[in-house]
Amino acid sequence: MISGRLLVRLAAFAALLAIIAGLFWAQNPAFLSTGNLRALMRHMSVQGLAALGLTFVIVVRHFDLSFPGVASLGAMTLGWLIAIGMPLWLSVAGGLAVGVAFGLVNGIAVAKFRLPDIVTTIATGGLAVGFSYFYSNGTSISQNFFMSGILDLNDQKFLGLDKPFAILMGAALIGFVVLHASRFGHGFYATGQNPLAARFSGIPTRSLIVAAFAICGMMACLSIALLVASSGAANVTAGNQLLMPAFAAVYLGAALFGRPSVGATLAGTLMMSTMLNGFTLLAIPYYYSDAIVSTVLILAIAVFDPRVSALIGRIFARKKERLA
Amino acid sequence: MTDIPSPPLTAGAMPRLRGDLFMRYGFFILVIAVFVVFASLRPTFIAPGNIHGMLMSASIAALMFLGLTLIVAAGEIDVSFMSVAALANMVVAALVQAGQGWGIGTLGGLAVGVLFGLLNAGLVAGLRLPALVITIATGALAASIAAAIGLGTSISLSSTGFVGQLLGLRLGVVPGIAIIVGLLYLIAWYVQDRLTFGHYIYAMEQNRAAVVEAGVPVNRMLFMLYVLSGVVSALAGILLAANLSSGQPYLGTSYFLDGLTAVLLGGMALKLGKPNVIGTLAAVIFLIGLLNGAALLGWTDSERQIVRGGLLLVGVGLVVFARTRTRGPAHS
Repeated sequence: MISGRLLVRLAAFAALLAIIAGLFWAQNPAFLSTGNLRALMRHMSVQGLAALGLTFVIVVRHFDLSFPGVASLGAMTLGWLIAIGMPLWLSVAGGLAVGVAFGLVNGIAVAKFRLPDIVTTIATGGLAVGFSYFYSNGTSISQNFFMSGILDLNDQKFLGLDKPFAILMGAALIGFVVLHASRFGHGFYATGQNPLAARFSGIPTRSLIVAAFAICGMMACLSIALLVASSGAANVTAGNQLLMPAFAAVYLGAALFGRPSVGATLAGTLMMSTMLNGFTLLAIPYYYSDAIVSTVLILAIAVFDPRVSALIGRIFARKKERLA
Repeated sequence: MTDIPSPPLTAGAMPRLRGDLFMRYGFFILVIAVFVVFASLRPTFIAPGNIHGMLMSASIAALMFLGLTLIVAAGEIDVSFMSVAALANMVVAALVQAGQGWGIGTLGGLAVGVLFGLLNAGLVAGLRLPALVITIATGALAASIAAAIGLGTSISLSSTGFVGQLLGLRLGVVPGIAIIVGLLYLIAWYVQDRLTFGHYIYAMEQNRAAVVEAGVPVNRMLFMLYVLSGVVSALAGILLAANLSSGQPYLGTSYFLDGLTAVLLGGMALKLGKPNVIGTLAAVIFLIGLLNGAALLGWTDSERQIVRGGLLLVGVGLVVFARTRTRGPAHS
């Protein structure tokens, strides 16, 4: 089932990860301590969920720039529902519903009304940020948080795993089944590669694009629910930190494994979180994190681009000729 | 060549022509309407001080969006412009605070613009990498460095140097900088609408492959546009350093939505869905007037944010609507 090429890519990924981890470990042995690894996995859970959702949109060859704003609105909705005394499951469901609703709007606008995805999602994201101020005029919400049990979402364990990581693994499993072991999955990829051909072969391309945006919105809100649980307050700026890492994880994964997929996104997220965690451990201030992520992203896209790698290959070939 | 017979005007063509005319010039009527409405609701809206302030912020914003207009007109995207402006702004502030003076500071800010312009241009036009993801990344890089320069906070300045004097120039209620930016836009209009370079820009958006086949150096043109966008964004950032007499690492966020809204709404004016510099200028004035007037009426920031997002959606919708009418069904 696992092809030879995939094995090579996996080995390359593991080697790269080992080198990065080794470098951090050499700088600070605490990097490989259990406590730090658990912190890393928790960080990875938040970023990974958002990136998983984005994967679907990227697979159908569209873009979603609204999910950070939608996530902020989801966080505030969740916080507000808890603050007025709703049970936890209803509050989380309310937050997720916001994500689904905005995702549906995005998807319908893009798939049915043929609006350009980039600008449309920037606009809906802007709207979501505006709406997120309505609950509390922009102040953070944390009433009732202790009573509601949302903090357990971060602190409890499930099957020996920290709950956030267990949620990520569960979501990844479902995502894997949908995208790689079902008819829908083939439909998503076909829609991305050639929408016209896909449509003529009977794939409901428009519905799949709408579904991809809805999944993206929902996953962004799920990821922000974990962030709210770990920070203990809902914030209007909560979603801002999702944009770069999510795009970086999807594109880094796609660069490493040849195409965007659930596994590739998880690998990209793991690498991204390892680096960010390592740099935090080396006491590098928070405002450098986006610089690190974006530099890695640019390098990954550039190096793995077929034309660029061909160019690099040619330069090396020429050098060898000169040596010989 | 024989004369090409002009298509006979059928009865159905007339209302459509009138509709087009309305869409072409309707936006300018809307701009005037906004100003008239706010002036009658709040007389302070047209007080000389307020007009001067609005023209000032409109000039700086218009300067920042000049490159973006041409890039979007060419069918590409740049979402790093506001972060480049923020970085240039912080570099100027840091250099001035370090006692280097405004001359060196301005040069430093300009260098940032050129550098990021070249970076975007090299990656997008040179290596043909995907524009959106690359400019998201370069924008995040610029924003991150901007925050790092101020260690996460703003830098306040005691003097505004010669840039402050430049901003202080005024002709009645019209700031000198508005005249300079107006002249820049006049030049840009000439380039976009009277020179072949500009026609190639429009053509690139419609059919890149055809333009390449026609032997136009598309990549070189895109390269120039991205460098231009970096430079004008940096210039706007430098002006903002003097205007706010501080360096603000997070000033980019408010310009992001405004920039795209101005370009797309402005694209509806005159050209029915093709971004053009005159349209952008009108849309910037419209946005500044609307947001300023709304502030005078006591709207909160979040309400104005919703207006921005809503307008951007309307702009996109109109552009797509106009295109399907003029070009037949969308081809994507």
